[in-house]
Amino acid sequence: MELDTDVPMEDVEDLKQVSTSATSSSTSGKQPTGITSIGGDASVSDAAAAAKKADLNVSSVNQLDQWIDKLSQCEPLAEADVKKLCDMAIEVLQFEENVQPVQVPVTICGDVHGQFHDLMELFKIGGPCPDTNYLFMGDYVDRGYYSVETVSYLVCMKVRYPNRITILRGNHESRQITQVYGFYDECLRKYGSANVWKLFTDLFDYFPITALVDNKVFCLHGGLSPMIETIDQVRELNRIQEVPHEGPMCDLLWSDPDDRGGWGISPRGAGFTFGQDISEQFNHTNDLSLIARAHQLVMEGFSWSHQESVVTIFSAPNYCYRCGNQAAIMEVDEQHNRQFLQYDPSQRPGEPTVTRKTPDYFL
Amino acid sequence: MSQDNQEQSVSSKESTSKSKTVFTMPGNRPGIQAVHVNAAREMVRLHTQGRRPPSSTTASTAVKGPVPPLPSTASSFPGASPHPHVSIPEGCKNPQCTHCGKVIIPAPQSSYPIQDTPAIAVKNWKIYTIKKPILNSTELEDLEARFHFPLPEMIFGNSRVKIVNEVSGESIEFNALDALDSLDSESHLKVSYHKEWLDSRRSEREKKEKEERGEVESRDLREFTDKLDTIEPYDWTYSPNYKGTTNIKFSESSQEIPIHRLTQPDPILFFDEAVLFEDELADNGISILNYKIRVMPTCLLLLCRFYLRIDNVIFRIRDTRVFVDFDQDLVIRDYRQQEYEYSELLKSVQRKSIGNDPKKLFRDHDWVSKNIPTINKVVESNQ
Repeated sequence: MELDTDVPMEDVEDLKQVSTSATSSSTSGKQPTGITSIGGDASVSDAAAAAKKADLNVSSVNQLDQWIDKLSQCEPLAEADVKKLCDMAIEVLQFEENVQPVQVPVTICGDVHGQFHDLMELFKIGGPCPDTNYLFMGDYVDRGYYSVETVSYLVCMKVRYPNRITILRGNHESRQITQVYGFYDECLRKYGSANVWKLFTDLFDYFPITALVDNKVFCLHGGLSPMIETIDQVRELNRIQEVPHEGPMCDLLWSDPDDRGGWGISPRGAGFTFGQDISEQFNHTNDLSLIARAHQLVMEGFSWSHQESVVTIFSAPNYCYRCGNQAAIMEVDEQHNRQFLQYDPSQRPGEPTVTRKTPDYFL
Repeated sequence: MSQDNQEQSVSSKESTSKSKTVFTMPGNRPGIQAVHVNAAREMVRLHTQGRRPPSSTTASTAVKGPVPPLPSTASSFPGASPHPHVSIPEGCKNPQCTHCGKVIIPAPQSSYPIQDTPAIAVKNWKIYTIKKPILNSTELEDLEARFHFPLPEMIFGNSRVKIVNEVSGESIEFNALDALDSLDSESHLKVSYHKEWLDSRRSEREKKEKEERGEVESRDLREFTDKLDTIEPYDWTYSPNYKGTTNIKFSESSQEIPIHRLTQPDPILFFDEAVLFEDELADNGISILNYKIRVMPTCLLLLCRFYLRIDNVIFRIRDTRVFVDFDQDLVIRDYRQQEYEYSELLKSVQRKSIGNDPKKLFRDHDWVSKNIPTINKVVESNQ
């Protein structure tokens, strides 16, 4: 592989250290045109500052590598380290755009839901992370047993290789949802308090909500919104907040494609569905070839809708440890060819695929 | 190390297919620590030992000496093992415990894709369950003609539990698709923030209409407006009116399920549970239909439960219990509906100050079932 384009991420880390220069750096950071262009980031700082940064780089890179090693073994970080990590991650994520540009080749992944070992399987199937570019479309936490390790690992990778991995926000990256579906409980169990939950949910507010792969593939967790006709309208949103119950940001994280045309509303009284006409219009207006989204469980791990204008990708195999579904990821190469890689749950010694039932004298 | 190898060989059937790739981490990171591997092997040992009770083969190959005998579960049940009236029907690949006669689930050969078909026969009665993964896209397409509404996100449409009297032909089974056939045509329930959601849409739209006076824009918006008011209704809570798929001629009965026979510690020869369908209602709660069954030497109890929680709105439980007395070929079916406002239960929890996280209790279906009122109950029997 060529040069590691991720070195400039320490620019961001530097903001914390050199607070006086923060304003100038941040303004330049807010105009990321070609995100992976090596020259762009280097020009931000002068040579002297760069030399000083090199020292900081080494120590934080070492720290991150240590954390990644620890997390690879499915061991959660100490609370103090989570705090440091989240601070570092905010410095990186706050400068990402609502529509984060991503280069090809990239491997696009859907929901993970705390299934840490299956995430390791994913990296095995798709290739190790800094060598392969990854784009995750949200829902890292809840339901699985290892939400803490999963989200810590992905955030570590994001801070360590910011231009190699993109992590979008899913509807589960929210304070309200995580309190009901497991992440909150898991944090309490593993750390004895809700501090880590607070740190992560505060961090989630900074996650970008959509990504645009080479201007052709629009990636997001849920789907389209009747309030959003162009991608530029997504850029105008203020995303740094809790996922709202209404409005375009809510739709982008929640809506689903449907066989019926036009916009539909679920009879549950909230939530949109969008039909093929809507998808085709959106792709046409924005000169897109595809909308890639996650959010819905599909037995095969991926599923086409709307005559291949929308694809659903789901990357949690045997979801909730009982659905028996396959997982999938989608590789997009330089020529925009797409390839789906399907995989089964990672089988580990000591954990049979079916949990053994303990008979109980239920009544 | 030889001991470890020994342990590993026990589980070789399950792990050989993938063992080469297990635990490879991304990058050139060090592998899993030996202590983890040993812990995992110990878990395998416990699992496999549980599945394969002491027999001549395991005893002879055991390096560590004789495997400690399993504690007897047949304490209150007089009789030799295997039980005289109990047998394992053909097609069931699950082994039976030679010690107590219990059918062992899951079968050690459980492999991906998950499929399990344990069964047991006691006197005239045959009981079996089939567990398979959720429906795939082809199967879902085939159902489009049968169901004209969006189906729950997880449908274990090939799973079922069935009880058959091989002599009389009486049978009752529970499966997801028949349950989904029994839904009401719509539901009056809405999610808690439904009003604010809809209002925000309407005001946004008006704002937009004022801002944009282009003709094309307004036509699009009008179409959207129309859609808003013509929602195709269906019961999005997936609350079934389902008491099982059966040919048994039930009539209302005053004979209740004899609880005393279910509370005595008879050995459980067969136990299984599974989800039939489940939907998380777009993260507004849960709607789930599952079953549990336990077969004892003289009777069985099957519970098929529908559980609905809509956060900040309602709890709803619909339980069907089937009791079979093997000696008298008696079948009793008890169906009851429970329903309670979410806020009411929350209040009572806060009054009793049970724990500081009531939402945790709200995920415990049994707890909720014990703490909300029954609104309807029907008991029937075949005699």
